[in-house]
Amino acid sequence: MNRPIETVETAAKTAPTETQDLRDPSYLKIRDVVYQISGIYHPEEKLYLLAARCARRMTAVKAATPSEYLDHLTVRGSREAELRLLLNEITIGETYMFRSPQQLEALRSVILPQILQDKAALGFKRLHVWSAGCSTGEEPYTLAMFLLELKETLLCGWTFDILATDLNDNSLVAAKAGIYGEYALRSTSDLLRRKYFKTYDQNRLQAGEELKSLIRFDRVNLTDDSKMTFLKGMDLIFCCNVLIYFDLASKRKVMQHFYANLLPGGYLFLGHAESLYQVDDRFHLMHFPGAIGYWKPPVGYVAGVKR
Amino acid sequence: MPSVPAIVQPLAELLREDPDRVNLDKVVELVSYDSTLVAQCLRMANSPLFGRRDTETVRGAVLALGIKRVEAIVLGCCLNRIVPPDKWALDALTFWRHCLGCALVSSKMARLIGYPDPEKAYLAGLLHDVGILVNTVTCTEEYRRTIEQARRGRIRLHESEQQSLGFTHCRSGAILAEQWKFSLDVRAVIEFHHDVVKSVTARPLVALVHLSDLLCRLRELGYGYYEAIGVDLAGDEAWSMLLESCPALAKMDLARLTLDIDGAMDEIVSVVDAVFRPEAIAAK
Repeated sequence: MNRPIETVETAAKTAPTETQDLRDPSYLKIRDVVYQISGIYHPEEKLYLLAARCARRMTAVKAATPSEYLDHLTVRGSREAELRLLLNEITIGETYMFRSPQQLEALRSVILPQILQDKAALGFKRLHVWSAGCSTGEEPYTLAMFLLELKETLLCGWTFDILATDLNDNSLVAAKAGIYGEYALRSTSDLLRRKYFKTYDQNRLQAGEELKSLIRFDRVNLTDDSKMTFLKGMDLIFCCNVLIYFDLASKRKVMQHFYANLLPGGYLFLGHAESLYQVDDRFHLMHFPGAIGYWKPPVGYVAGVKR
Repeated sequence: MPSVPAIVQPLAELLREDPDRVNLDKVVELVSYDSTLVAQCLRMANSPLFGRRDTETVRGAVLALGIKRVEAIVLGCCLNRIVPPDKWALDALTFWRHCLGCALVSSKMARLIGYPDPEKAYLAGLLHDVGILVNTVTCTEEYRRTIEQARRGRIRLHESEQQSLGFTHCRSGAILAEQWKFSLDVRAVIEFHHDVVKSVTARPLVALVHLSDLLCRLRELGYGYYEAIGVDLAGDEAWSMLLESCPALAKMDLARLTLDIDGAMDEIVSVVDAVFRPEAIAAK
């Protein structure tokens, strides 16, 4: 199971909770609004996390009770802006390198072996990975290290590259620079730090050439049809906590593109609490130990037949 | 094969009555004879799963839990006893976390998709792997090697069993279930949860527990080792089997159920630890 944002969780757990009565049914309603709009889901046992995020926004808008804050999210004129601000709170601190070890383990031991076997049979020994909504670059650099670590074994004889895109120019500048402090590197081992980074200043490391040469950064709006149509031939697409900001129609459009961008047998990965329920039904929801992915089945795949 | 404990027969007879007409006093009396059972019922009734009541009497616990849940606790407790503390092949807590997880996911899924008997789904989920206990007591050393082989190869446990023992926990579980006179439905689940298409009775229940079992193993409520598997649950043959009798399954938000399991994990772990750990420690 993914256990993201430990520090924030711990902080929320130890924070005084007398003011947040989790039994207040308004929290369940807020949870459902957030899920409906963004696809991010808080099971009942994680409501305290949502309550902690709401608490900050409630102070900001001077809402005294969860029920009053629910009004801000549903009936007030500023509801869309407020929802966006709440979503920002919810996804804050989500990015650091190697944030989802179980996803990487599933890639290494289940997903990649299958993809490589299928592609090798067709004579393609090239792998294309896309980090869509790469923010400040933690995800593409993680993927680059992950793939490079496999180049002597699983990926021996293969070439691979990573496309990293974002809409935000500032994020892209930071991503290209590849300079990270302790927070971003908290789950990166000393070995990997030494191997792939160089010292930038006293507190920060910078991604080295081997990593950078593997990644192509570009500005892409995921709802821009003209650009999306050309990004073909992907094996893996990672798109974490990006769709949450789109309305249902845009989400469906982006999913249509992703489906077309992926090769048959390829996978799409979303943020760990995100769901595509009622957004897209062409992708197959695949379960791996502690991770889920959305699969574009190969042509001729029949459900019920074990692969 | 482990013999049938004394409490199982009279309890089964009491529970044969219509749920509304079961003689509660007799059930309370039966449970009260056994201090471990009393402790387990109280701990379960006072666990977060039942809203942390402050139940102090057996009667209060039985009322809080409901008669079906008491039956599940009694059977779980009896089964736990067939393995001497030094003989466990899979760690006892890991095993019961998997079973309780599967019980809870089965009953939750049953409610979500309109399967008519969620408590039966709970019981079947709890008991589906009894064969693992049978294998543990009947061939301890060999079974430890079987599990080690599964762990090292990262393969499914029943595949490893088939390779090294020549039979699976489904087969050995079915024999115990017959001797202990489990209901035909639960017996079908025990025998066919890894080969759903072969089941003749209770096909929806077998399919339901099969899916819950997979979900648990994929959300860290498995056998305590990494199974290198990727599963298209909605493409599984059990899914289509269950769909025939529970069309609401097609509309179930599977990703959300998965996150619900993750959310409930700490609770499941703490309940199993509270219910089984004191006994495990006391036994040593």
